[in-house]
Amino acid sequence: MSVGVGILRVPKEAKKGEVVKVQMVITHPMTPPRKDPATGQTIPAHNLTKLDLFFNDKLVSTINMGAGISANPFIALTLKVEDSGVVKIVYEDNKGGKWEKTADIKAI
Amino acid sequence: MDRRRFLLASAVAVAGLAVLPAIKPAYATPALEKLEKELQQRLGVQLGQIKEVADIKLTAPTIAESGANVPITVESTIPIEKVEQLWVFVDKNPTPWITDVKFTPMNGQVYFSTRIKMGETSNVRAILKLKDGSYVMATKEVKVTAGGCG
Repeated sequence: MSVGVGILRVPKEAKKGEVVKVQMVITHPMTPPRKDPATGQTIPAHNLTKLDLFFNDKLVSTINMGAGISANPFIALTLKVEDSGVVKIVYEDNKGGKWEKTADIKAI
Repeated sequence: MDRRRFLLASAVAVAGLAVLPAIKPAYATPALEKLEKELQQRLGVQLGQIKEVADIKLTAPTIAESGANVPITVESTIPIEKVEQLWVFVDKNPTPWITDVKFTPMNGQVYFSTRIKMGETSNVRAILKLKDGSYVMATKEVKVTAGGCG
């Protein structure tokens, strides 16, 4: 399983002023810290901590999260499309991983 | 003891009795204690100060088969310009805090959907912070047949 691979889904076209859904799924284990039952050693947490949603490089939303979100997180938000542009998500985890993903929306 | 002293003493005693219950919150069960602590730490308010309102819609299953994957959706008719941030809490999880979302007017409306983990049957709370500094919330109980934590 490749950690950090994301799928970002937005409609290709939207009317000006329309509120569209921005949906994303990210491949990530999202494990809380826990003890290995066999050895008793602590396995550190591995989860996404932060996700930023940008539209044309302007910050729309910031999501902070912990291991309370299910594995392979699905997240949906809304975005008001005033102009054509690029939707970008930037997300990072507690082990220093940082990824981004973009998608285009055309305003009609 | 004369009459005046007696009255004074009894007045003090009654006042003391009235103060006592206020020190210990009536809802201080162990599960909510953890939630209260997180609320105090992250929001700086107590649960009793958050008003439950009808114009936040929290959609979650009444019975979730697996606690590892409980879909929730938060929607609201409150205009996005008035909303600052959203928190999601699960009362009885080892870590009650699930997520927080900062909104801007570019979102167009208050809408957030995700899938969360739940350890056991518990209340899910969606708390909105409004621009005027007040907090409002919606609560829904989700029954979990198999826990999904750890």
